[in-house]
Amino acid sequence: MADLRLVLVTPEKTLFDRPVASLQVPLFDGGAGFYPGRAPLVGRLGAGVLLLRGASGESESYFIDGGFVQVKGPVVSVLTNSAVECGQISRRTAQQQLTDVLGERAVSDEEYRSKARRIETARRRLTAAGRE
Amino acid sequence: MANRRLLVKRLKAVRNIRKITRTMELIATSRFKKAMDRATEAAEYTRKISEIVGDLGQADLRFSHPLLEKHAEEKRSVLLVLTANRGLCGGYNAGVLRQSIAHLRGLRERGVDVSLEVSGKRGIKFLNFQKIAMAQSYMHFEDKTTFAEVNVLATRYVDDYIAGRIDRLDVAYTRFESSSKQSAVVETILPIASLAGSGGGAGSGRVDYEFLPSAEEILSEIVPAAFRARLFKCFLDAIVSEQIARMVAMKGATENADEMAGSLKQQYNRARQAGITSELAEIIGGAAALG
Repeated sequence: MADLRLVLVTPEKTLFDRPVASLQVPLFDGGAGFYPGRAPLVGRLGAGVLLLRGASGESESYFIDGGFVQVKGPVVSVLTNSAVECGQISRRTAQQQLTDVLGERAVSDEEYRSKARRIETARRRLTAAGRE
Repeated sequence: MANRRLLVKRLKAVRNIRKITRTMELIATSRFKKAMDRATEAAEYTRKISEIVGDLGQADLRFSHPLLEKHAEEKRSVLLVLTANRGLCGGYNAGVLRQSIAHLRGLRERGVDVSLEVSGKRGIKFLNFQKIAMAQSYMHFEDKTTFAEVNVLATRYVDDYIAGRIDRLDVAYTRFESSSKQSAVVETILPIASLAGSGGGAGSGRVDYEFLPSAEEILSEIVPAAFRARLFKCFLDAIVSEQIARMVAMKGATENADEMAGSLKQQYNRARQAGITSELAEIIGGAAALG
């Protein structure tokens, strides 16, 4: 079986660089799953949970907020502005963030769009905080 | 006699200063190592971004994005100056400030409205003293500057540039070239001159990518991401260079203190010997007079 390697990079450092059995990433319009042997792809990421399964079946999940994914040969590179392990997100702060965003005022179209986007991110972060 | 006591006092003072500068040197060394590690880790992201940009280049795509386009006239520009919060780092702050003042003059002579944004107490102090007005000043960028902090600035610049509120963004900082060479420079980072130069993966040949949602969409996202990474790199470079500058300055100070302590000790010994000789001469003179 071909192998799959995940490289998770943020602007600050490389968080993760090791072989995995399979992984799921949140794309801009839904999820995508990768198994070894995936055809080359470059995709835009949305906010959501990056779920990976190691060779021995254990799984880890990270909450990521936008960025890109590149599949090239056996290497899957995920570039994102921030990645936090789901277990590290506290429900309370996630809830607080959602309330804060909901309370913001949006007047122009641009502001409204940005607010809608941030509400979506905050909701997904809250969902991510709930699991594990 | 009084001279000798004075020498002892000075010697003590010099030794104390040496202790301080030596400690600062060690601290700067360890901070430099940490900053250097951070900078190396951050380079990976930039490398990946340029790899993807290179891949996009193979997709027969015209690179067009508001951040890549030069505005027809340059009316308003922003100059971001990155200095340190602390001094005692040799010519580090002075170098950056000299470059930025020259650049500021040049732009203002051409009739460009420059708004000055300064990070670091040293720069703020200097410009206040020169009575040069600043639009913004930041003091929270320390040696553990995170991407999230820089991102706030980057987002504002991107929005301003796209909306046409600014026509140009320059950053004055100390570029890290190698651990023995850093130079103060002013770089124009908006409009983006070229995306990632040669564009990464040349060796691996063509790969037929599937683009989700499309190559254009990816491009429109990756250009701002490249800009953000670039701005973040400026901050990281500045931090590494500051620690190197401090390390070198403190090494020099420690060596000077050593030298000074040596010469003071010698002077003290001579004075002491002179004292003993004159005392002996007095005793012998006294004995001779009695005999």
